[in-house]
Amino acid sequence: MAAEHTVTVDVNEKYTLTAATQKKIWLWLAVGLILFIAGAFWFVTGFGSEAAHGAGHAAEHGGGGGEHFNPMARVWANLWLNSVFFVGIAVAGVFFLATQYAAKAGWSAIIKRVPEAFGGFLPVGGVIMLVVYFLGHHDLFHWTHTGLYEKGGPEFDAIINGKAPFFYWPLSPEGGFPFFWLLRLVLYFALWYWGYTMIRKASLAEDQLQNRLDFRYYDKQVVWSIVFIVIFAVTSSTSAWDWLLSIDTHWFSTMFGWYVFASWFVSALAVITLAVVYLKEQGYLKAVNENHLHDLGKFMFAFSIFWTYVWFCQFLLIYYANIPEEIFYFKERLHGLGGVYSPVMIILAIINFAFPFLFLMPRDSKRHPIFLKITAFAILVGHYLDFYLMVMPGTAKQYGGFGLMEIGAIIVFASLFVWLFYRTLSKAPLIAKNHPMLEESLHHSI
Amino acid sequence: MADTRLGHTKERFMVGIYDHEDKVVDAVKKLKNDGVKVYEVYSPHPIHHIDTYIGHPRTRIPIAAFLFGALGTLSAITLITYTMGIDWPMIIGGKNFVAIPTMVPVTFELTVLISALGMVATFLVSNNMGPGKKEFMFDRRTTDDKYALVVDLDANTLSEEQIRDLMVKYGAETDPLPRIVER
Amino acid sequence: MQVTSPIREPLVTGHKTMHDITEDICRRVEEKPSKAWLAAFGVSLIMLIVGGYAAAATWWYGIGMWGLNKTVGWAWDITNFVWWVGIGHAGTLISAILLLFRQKWRTSINRAAEAMTIFAVICAGTFILMHMGRTWLAHWALPLPNTYGSLWVNFHSPLVWDVFAISTYLTVSLVFWYVGLIPDLATIRDRAKLTLEKYPLLDTDTPEERREKRKKRRPIAAFIYGLLAFGWEGGAKVWARYEYVALILAGLSTPLVLSVHTIVSFDFATSLIPGWHTTIFPPYFVAGAIFSGFAMVQTLMLITRKVYKLEDYITITHIDYMNKIIILTGSIVGIAYITEFFMAWYSGVEYERYAFLNRAFGPYWWAYWSMMTCNVISPQLFWFKKIRQSIAWSFFLSIVVNIGMWFERFVIIVTSLHRDFIPSSWAMFYPTLYDIGDYLFTFGIFFTCFFLFAKYLPVINMAEVKTILNSSDIKAKEKATEYLKEGGAVKAASPMYDKGKDL
Repeated sequence: MAAEHTVTVDVNEKYTLTAATQKKIWLWLAVGLILFIAGAFWFVTGFGSEAAHGAGHAAEHGGGGGEHFNPMARVWANLWLNSVFFVGIAVAGVFFLATQYAAKAGWSAIIKRVPEAFGGFLPVGGVIMLVVYFLGHHDLFHWTHTGLYEKGGPEFDAIINGKAPFFYWPLSPEGGFPFFWLLRLVLYFALWYWGYTMIRKASLAEDQLQNRLDFRYYDKQVVWSIVFIVIFAVTSSTSAWDWLLSIDTHWFSTMFGWYVFASWFVSALAVITLAVVYLKEQGYLKAVNENHLHDLGKFMFAFSIFWTYVWFCQFLLIYYANIPEEIFYFKERLHGLGGVYSPVMIILAIINFAFPFLFLMPRDSKRHPIFLKITAFAILVGHYLDFYLMVMPGTAKQYGGFGLMEIGAIIVFASLFVWLFYRTLSKAPLIAKNHPMLEESLHHSI
Repeated sequence: MADTRLGHTKERFMVGIYDHEDKVVDAVKKLKNDGVKVYEVYSPHPIHHIDTYIGHPRTRIPIAAFLFGALGTLSAITLITYTMGIDWPMIIGGKNFVAIPTMVPVTFELTVLISALGMVATFLVSNNMGPGKKEFMFDRRTTDDKYALVVDLDANTLSEEQIRDLMVKYGAETDPLPRIVER
Repeated sequence: MQVTSPIREPLVTGHKTMHDITEDICRRVEEKPSKAWLAAFGVSLIMLIVGGYAAAATWWYGIGMWGLNKTVGWAWDITNFVWWVGIGHAGTLISAILLLFRQKWRTSINRAAEAMTIFAVICAGTFILMHMGRTWLAHWALPLPNTYGSLWVNFHSPLVWDVFAISTYLTVSLVFWYVGLIPDLATIRDRAKLTLEKYPLLDTDTPEERREKRKKRRPIAAFIYGLLAFGWEGGAKVWARYEYVALILAGLSTPLVLSVHTIVSFDFATSLIPGWHTTIFPPYFVAGAIFSGFAMVQTLMLITRKVYKLEDYITITHIDYMNKIIILTGSIVGIAYITEFFMAWYSGVEYERYAFLNRAFGPYWWAYWSMMTCNVISPQLFWFKKIRQSIAWSFFLSIVVNIGMWFERFVIIVTSLHRDFIPSSWAMFYPTLYDIGDYLFTFGIFFTCFFLFAKYLPVINMAEVKTILNSSDIKAKEKATEYLKEGGAVKAASPMYDKGKDL
């Protein structure tokens, strides 16, 4: 029996990041930067005339325009949006890895180095977020305007004043330094990276073992994975509140944290799938067969539905109750702000739900790389738009749009992510040869 | 399948009993190599991929499930649109007569309900199963711990003895030897 | 070929053969009812009858028998309804979600958990029917053409969604459970029919022989289980279809399970009442439902395991895994509680803030803190492996969790209602004997059904346990270790794993 099923696998296989690939990535990065800067320059310099037009437009639609708008807001918003999106993918990739250990999954053992390489983006992502915050916080976060907290001042806002400790504790908000908020930002990255490093360390140490029945490091990875899951269970919600919910400072939704998590997680699954398929096409990971792809496809399918569930429940409850405190958020996105964001909601429902749902339903489409590539790509576009809809209306207001600047920013971040992913990936063998589940994974058949 | 009620002759089958899943899978593959057409394998639990080794076509049950699901979706949309939008429109809670968000829960439930019921009904009908249907067991121990490999003698050119010998050669129990069952 | 990692704990212990599995499970169905079973069944019947009196009185006199008032219009009825629906979530979760995730340990507990689901949903439905007041007009909740003009049900109403959700859930769970039962019913049928073939009644029998044979023959079982087994034959073609049906039913049931408690949560969350209107309700209700459902499965399986001596099938590993799910879902629920509290503060809405402070420090503080202790703190004890693997602790904590989940629903429903927007309407809720009696009635239904099930149907899915026997019994672990020692599949590629080296 065993003979006809023997899988040959090169356990010392390593990914090499060739100079050519690296050059290609840098080229993309350069193209992205040029597009981004050109788009930003165009938008900011041309803003005077456009603003007049835009304001008139907004007045017609009863939008929130009128007060002075800094065109740089859209530039910062693009940087912030992409940092949050890609940091989320990186951390959710590590979370996926952790769930595989916590749940004692067998099938994923041969692809586990792929999500493991996502963690390499985290420190860079953290630095970028800090820099973007310091450059653009006034345009990104309404709550950074100190006038909001001056009692009796013209800008005083009682609701935001009530939230002040969430951002400024223990300092006074009039001082303008959001100690608590920044502390949390640093803490998230510190905790995530710490958890990730501990898993990674044990994973690399496992490679050095001479005895495949020594499960010491596997057990260690399980423990650290659970630690990571506990950390992420709390910080995924709180970071979503900090980074995205607080943009629309008045608005609140208890579901929000889990909704952002769902979006991050399904995007990470799409990137894992894309990475596995591309690596296989480049001749790596030969032992990955259609059964593994099938499972990745199922994950994308299931979590696309999960995202839709969370997204729809949040929308339905707010739509149904129709309370002014909450409904303005969706009104802005569906009809307000000159209507610039109206199509996105509909596109979201199609590209993030209907498309993966119908496309990945048949068994065969989950087993063929080409279908998976199409869906994974669509999911990434769709979830980028999901984050777009969380960030842009509150920052770029009615001056948002989709142009060179947006495309450029995506390319910059994507190439940075890919570069760091490949770099981390090349540092360890592609297959964790002493993983106790490796044999299960090699013989995986569904 | 011959219908005995109409006076057709009975079909004759050779039934070999195996005591392990791996043995019966092995036997199916080897018999196939020898040009023997296997009629069916009866087992106490599902055996992975054995249907493809025997040569059964892939089941089309998922298509039935999908079509019934689509029927459920359509009927829910029709029902809600007709009752709330056409037959007796009423303003409730300031919502539209036919509001897409509030249609979703019932549409989902009916999709699942009709898909599940339709699929299971298809399953029962296609297997000729249902309350009070009579079974034909080649060996009643196949619902306990034995595996029965059944070869239709009329559909094979090899003789009874040859088939019996091959079955034994590929691991069938010899006490008693594979026997002939008529149906 | 299936390969199992040696790191996995065996799921079937005691070196069982397939025939042992059949014997161990079927014996309980075939034997005469034991004294313990009769006693337990008697107690459930008494609960059913005593509670039945209260239920009958509620139906006859109306829901004025309950302690409701103008302010608190929903109390124990809906609390119990949500509690039972929640318990009814674990069965289909175990069968469906764990099937999709290929968790083999589900095979020993799915049958009983699914049965429990169905009975729990019936109990939940009982409260829905009762709280309508005029139960005999319950069909008005369905979109039926009627003679009172073109009046239809209001499809905008979450209560109508609930009617669809609960009835769909009950139907699909029943179908799923029954489809799973068919192969096992065939096993029992064939065992009974074999006695008929083995001991045929012949004219030549002496009366003595005939009496002996009659003792061994089981014609009634052969007939009844033959009827129930739907003519199952167990051919490869049927099994292949059957596996697809099970998989698709699982695929359909997974979102269905989620949708049911989601829609139950919509009953509250679509409203404007502070403490009810919160967007996290749907997933948090689902997590809570799985939490309480697993706790109830744990309670029942620990008893069944002991009484039926099923220690080889429901091992400590199974108990450990269930406890892990209890920590997971309990912690999700805990995070949701804290999220709600935080958002009430963050929102700046004074009614929200008041509602949550009132929960924790108002007149119902005891209910709130019981809920917090039982649901959030007590499951954290399961982080300790000793407690997780202790039968006594698991049993105790599983009951604590179910008490906590009852309080959760009570807190959500009663504390949110008892402080109306108009302070002159503020009120408290005091249950009457009939509130308690009706609750007892559903316990009667639940346990009567469960004991009947445990006696007359196989409590463990034999066919599925047989499927995993090769890959998950004790021998499998030994084989897996041996296989790995020999180098496994990677042997060819790496000289490091040559046989015997460093092992």
